[in-house]
Amino acid sequence: MTDTQDVAISVRDLKTFFYTNNRCNRAINGVSFDIKKGKTLCIVGESGCGKSVTAATIMQLLPRLSRIEEGEIIYHSEDGDIPLHALERNGRDMRRIRGSEIAMIFQDPMTALNPVYSVGFQIKESLKYHTNLGRKKAHEKAVDLLREMGISMPEKRVNDFPHRYSGGMRQRAMIAMAMSCSPKVLIADEPTTALDVTIQAQIFELMDKLKREHGTGIMLITHDMGVVAELADDVAVMYMGNIVEAGTVDEVLRNPAHPYTRALLASVPVLGKGKNQDIQAIRGSTPDPYDRPKGCQFAARCDFATAQCEAMPAETHITPTHRVMCWRYKELSGHAAE
Amino acid sequence: MTTNIKLAKRTRLDSQFDKIRALEEAGLARSAGGSRFFNKFKNNRLALIGLIIFTIIVLASICAPLLTPYDPQKIDLRAILQAPSWEHWFGTDRTGRDLFARVLYGGRISILVGLGSAILSAALGVVIGVYTGYVGGWLDALAMRVSEIFMAFPQIILVLLLVSILGQSLLNLIIIFTLTGWGGIYRLSRARMLSLREEEYVLALRSFGLSRPLIAYKHMLPNALGPIMVNITLSTAAFILQEAGLSFLGLGVPLSLPTWGNILNVAQDLRVLQNNWWIWLPVGTVISLFVLSVNFIGDGLRDATDPTQQG
Amino acid sequence: MLTYIIRRVLILIPMALVICFLVYLGLEMTPGDAVSFMISPDALSSMDPAQLAEMREALGLGQPFIVRFWIWLSSLLQGNFGYSTSGGVPIGRILSDRLPATLELSVAALVLSTILGSLLGVISALKRGSKTDSALTVVGMLGVSVPEFFFGLVAILIFGLNLGWLPVGGRMMPGYVTFWDRLPHLIMPASVLSIMLTAGVMRYARSSMLDALSKDFIKTARSKGIPEWRVNLLHGFRVALTPVVVLIGFRLPVLLGGSVIIEQVFQWPGIGNEFISAVRGQDYPVVMTIALLSVMTVLVASLIVDVLTAVIDPRVRLGD
Repeated sequence: MTDTQDVAISVRDLKTFFYTNNRCNRAINGVSFDIKKGKTLCIVGESGCGKSVTAATIMQLLPRLSRIEEGEIIYHSEDGDIPLHALERNGRDMRRIRGSEIAMIFQDPMTALNPVYSVGFQIKESLKYHTNLGRKKAHEKAVDLLREMGISMPEKRVNDFPHRYSGGMRQRAMIAMAMSCSPKVLIADEPTTALDVTIQAQIFELMDKLKREHGTGIMLITHDMGVVAELADDVAVMYMGNIVEAGTVDEVLRNPAHPYTRALLASVPVLGKGKNQDIQAIRGSTPDPYDRPKGCQFAARCDFATAQCEAMPAETHITPTHRVMCWRYKELSGHAAE
Repeated sequence: MTTNIKLAKRTRLDSQFDKIRALEEAGLARSAGGSRFFNKFKNNRLALIGLIIFTIIVLASICAPLLTPYDPQKIDLRAILQAPSWEHWFGTDRTGRDLFARVLYGGRISILVGLGSAILSAALGVVIGVYTGYVGGWLDALAMRVSEIFMAFPQIILVLLLVSILGQSLLNLIIIFTLTGWGGIYRLSRARMLSLREEEYVLALRSFGLSRPLIAYKHMLPNALGPIMVNITLSTAAFILQEAGLSFLGLGVPLSLPTWGNILNVAQDLRVLQNNWWIWLPVGTVISLFVLSVNFIGDGLRDATDPTQQG
Repeated sequence: MLTYIIRRVLILIPMALVICFLVYLGLEMTPGDAVSFMISPDALSSMDPAQLAEMREALGLGQPFIVRFWIWLSSLLQGNFGYSTSGGVPIGRILSDRLPATLELSVAALVLSTILGSLLGVISALKRGSKTDSALTVVGMLGVSVPEFFFGLVAILIFGLNLGWLPVGGRMMPGYVTFWDRLPHLIMPASVLSIMLTAGVMRYARSSMLDALSKDFIKTARSKGIPEWRVNLLHGFRVALTPVVVLIGFRLPVLLGGSVIIEQVFQWPGIGNEFISAVRGQDYPVVMTIALLSVMTVLVASLIVDVLTAVIDPRVRLGD
């Protein structure tokens, strides 16, 4: 695999299962990827494909009735490798990493901040446990962070309660909170889904800046192919708990090898192409997670499915960085034509 | 840092997970079919136990003449204050009346008061709440104010006040309970109507030109039935407790009728309390069990009808 | 904040007036000569019919209903509650004699049930699904299902009569001076009265806490790496607290109602005990005055709860 010098977190064959209603749901069924320092990894897929679960698994923030089944998540810290998957969920070691080494921002800033505490209090909470700053220094730091995130009059706003903030401002405050201890990795779970499009662009710009200036590795979860094209260095496409295709952003967007990736790309309207462009929705819907197809999970909705697809395709490398899980990738990808 | 990392231990939950996973892999696990409501209620062990106790006590009260040869009112001065025996299962009271018979027959009246008042007050509350909630305007405001006034009184105090004015009788008690108890369910059904009123299907019905009472009672009410059923069960429990309390004080159902509370009335006497436990302990236990069972059923119903609860 | 309180008070006034009116209506309609509860019985017995008629005129009893109501209300506001018809004692004096006992009992039960109830509820929520949780659930159900007076009877039998640890009833004995002298008398009634409330608070605190713990901001708090106790208490419990406080306010009517029966069981010389005697003796002025007093208490309590909620929850406080 890639040399571990510039890798912050490597995930290998990770499986996370959910155990609700006396059933076992294989929410993540063996995924591998790397989050690199100073790069953005985008994870794309429909809702319910396991994107958010992947994020929650890395942070050990899974719901009670779920667990990491197999595989490993290794955090390459400055003091050596730490097996995140094996740590106690809310134990001391995990807590020491959360917030200081790996931070996370959530989908809905409206509900992700505690309504009964001021924004400043919630930022300072993180500082209190991960730094040695005194009360006053911490307050100044919180103000600085808010200013850095582009919030006007931070000295005043720091004492405001979240409901006084607009959605975009709350997400900035969330990012300020996440960045307060300069984490090495930032996990963003659809950070702009709940926001206006104009605010979206600002938030992404902010994240890009963090990546450039602090060398933070970013794992960005999204369902928006436009965002991927804009921000990603690497892309992983998820479908029903598997990464069906992964590679650099160029490889995946220019040479999509998996039918699902192609379908996702075909379903995005392109600005400037006018009204008459051919937008294709993916037919059917995702299968019932309790009644999965035997082989390739996408087969039932795939235009290229054959009898072979009744067996699970293995992960195949097209280039050292570009891999795909499809029997017919050769015919479909641009590589074959070359 | 790698030196002293504490790794997660296996927990009880893990073994449960293993079991589920094994089942799943064997292809045996299956999502339960049929109505979600019945499945959830069925899986609620406490609710089932409640239903069984409830059924037993209700049936026993209804079939009282089959279960005991004694007349609950028959005074037998030769058998005063007898401890439980084969002849008198729960013993006899100060006038020699058989307590087992009194508990059974008393159950009839206590349950009638509880269930009857709960159903009547629910009916009153629903009729007012559904209509005013849907129509709104001054009628709604008026009903709301009236209910606020009723609910500002501590219920027992309002009940006692009305008892002192209207006088003690079985019918009066049911009327008083109904009058004092409609507020809660009125608010519940009104609130439900207010949210349903905004739904598309109601707008559609209105555009068809259906009359307002028809829309309110026929098309909207069924959507509010779940919480209303829960409320009826819970207020049955509350009314039975209140009847027992009032009768215990001697201010509920007239003492000439046997009810659970009336049997307990004599326990205010410390000598009876200490020396004749069989007079008050069994009937107190029966009341507690019955109310407990009704509460379990109510809780089960609530969980089963609440769509936000997964489990 | 101040405008918020004023606004709430202004809403209360018309309601209080209507209730006073209804109570007066009840007084007028119940049997008994109105003059007999407006002047002291000593004065009444020394009067001849002519004087009585004059007195009626002076008291405004010949006036239309609304005026009579006004006279009654204004004398009420001046602290003149009238006279009991059975004993001839001024109702004001009955209240001032009995109120301390009821307050003592209610406050003790309220404090006990609030602390114990929220504590058990939070434990139950934090250990949800465990054996402790199911045990607490069943115990809580028992607490709301067993009649309070039955608990009282059992307690009297066990701790009062058989073990002899605590007095079976009453509050004052000759020679009692301080609160500590009375404390043994208070323990049983206060504990029994608090059972049902504790169970209610516990069930409510549990679901409120579970609700709070399922919120997104709990995940955020965890993602910051702060200790679990801080997540649970500062983020979970603090948010769960608001509805629990509101519930305590709503429980006040239950508490007042419960104390009526419990005071009777333990012969506690409080308002509730007096109320029962008045109902039994059909002493309408006393019945009505106590009922009125209880309603006013509930209304004021609901006001206090609203203000407290506003203090706890900034969303309400700032009025947006």
